[in-house]
Amino acid sequence: MTNINDLVANLAQEASAVKPAPHPFLLSLQWMGAAAIYLAVSLAFSGLRPQIVEHLQNVWFAAEIATLLTLFIVTSLSAALLAFPDLHQKRRLAFAPIASFALFLLVMIFAWGADSPPAPLPVHSFECTLSITLMTLLPAVWTFYSLRQYASTHYHLAGCVASLSAFSVGALWMRLHEANDSIAHVVEWHYLPMLGIGLLGLWLGKVFLKW
Amino acid sequence: MRQSLAGDQRAYVELLQATTRLLRPFLSKRLSFSSEVDDVLQEILISIHKARHTYDGQRPYKPWAFAIASFRLQDHLRMLYADQLRHATDFDELEESLHEDVTESAISYESISKEVEKLPEKQATILRLMHQDGFTAKEVAEKIGMKESAVKVAAHRAYKVLKERLER
Repeated sequence: MTNINDLVANLAQEASAVKPAPHPFLLSLQWMGAAAIYLAVSLAFSGLRPQIVEHLQNVWFAAEIATLLTLFIVTSLSAALLAFPDLHQKRRLAFAPIASFALFLLVMIFAWGADSPPAPLPVHSFECTLSITLMTLLPAVWTFYSLRQYASTHYHLAGCVASLSAFSVGALWMRLHEANDSIAHVVEWHYLPMLGIGLLGLWLGKVFLKW
Repeated sequence: MRQSLAGDQRAYVELLQATTRLLRPFLSKRLSFSSEVDDVLQEILISIHKARHTYDGQRPYKPWAFAIASFRLQDHLRMLYADQLRHATDFDELEESLHEDVTESAISYESISKEVEKLPEKQATILRLMHQDGFTAKEVAEKIGMKESAVKVAAHRAYKVLKERLER
């Protein structure tokens, strides 16, 4: 008990005024703003896919982009909530990526079904995964760096969600840049690697976010 | 907490003391020793101190403090169990360290039968079957419905006890 009293006295001596962390909504908004700028700059350099406006009139392509965007927003928000020990007391919202993932999966299943006759497969394959991963690096670094400033008690999950959020930026860029209509290719080389990234994120969370 | 975030040290002391009173019963229910409770409590207080910027004073304090407490408690238990697992003897290793044939013996069973009968019933039965009736460990295992390795371990323990008693 004496040790506890000593510790309390020591901690109180060290305690100076601290600036409370920003609200998680604001934090996620900062990340999303930065990601939007990054995406816009990247697309300005790499170029949009030809006839993007016509493609966006295709229901399943538009739905895919919309759900991918939703996934990015929801994972950013969830990562920001997971940065707080008590998830900012918004537990349901912190686990919302499950629902947005289910929605995304549903859209991809319908898009696959609608791809009849199937669009020809592009000649490249893993290059897409590689490009998306490279595009993901910068958002992943800043999200993890930002998360480290807080105190996540769900560091595995925070790492996973942050990685998925960063990867969805890369996936969005690739989908808006690459002239490809093959859903089989998109699923295999754009979205399936997401699972691997999610698992990697679990491990990265343990390595970088444990405190 | 709001006052302590603003740098009021007295308010901070009061808050940490109140937190200690709040968390001690929570930890005592989940940990066996009071020294362990104190250790984890100290860890939690340090964590609360480190993470105090993640509390803004706008939401209830208790769920925030308990989230950190549960996190540190889980951390402690994980380390404790991992440590116990590291120091536990692997059953396979134990089996390897046993003699190949535990039925061989330099002394006759009859000469130590009185000591054998003083052993716990299961161990005595195993030794009787192996040394008086001449069954192998595998056969004994089948006879009494145990695993062969478990029979060997029980025999090994019985030898140890017998050795100590006979050397006295």
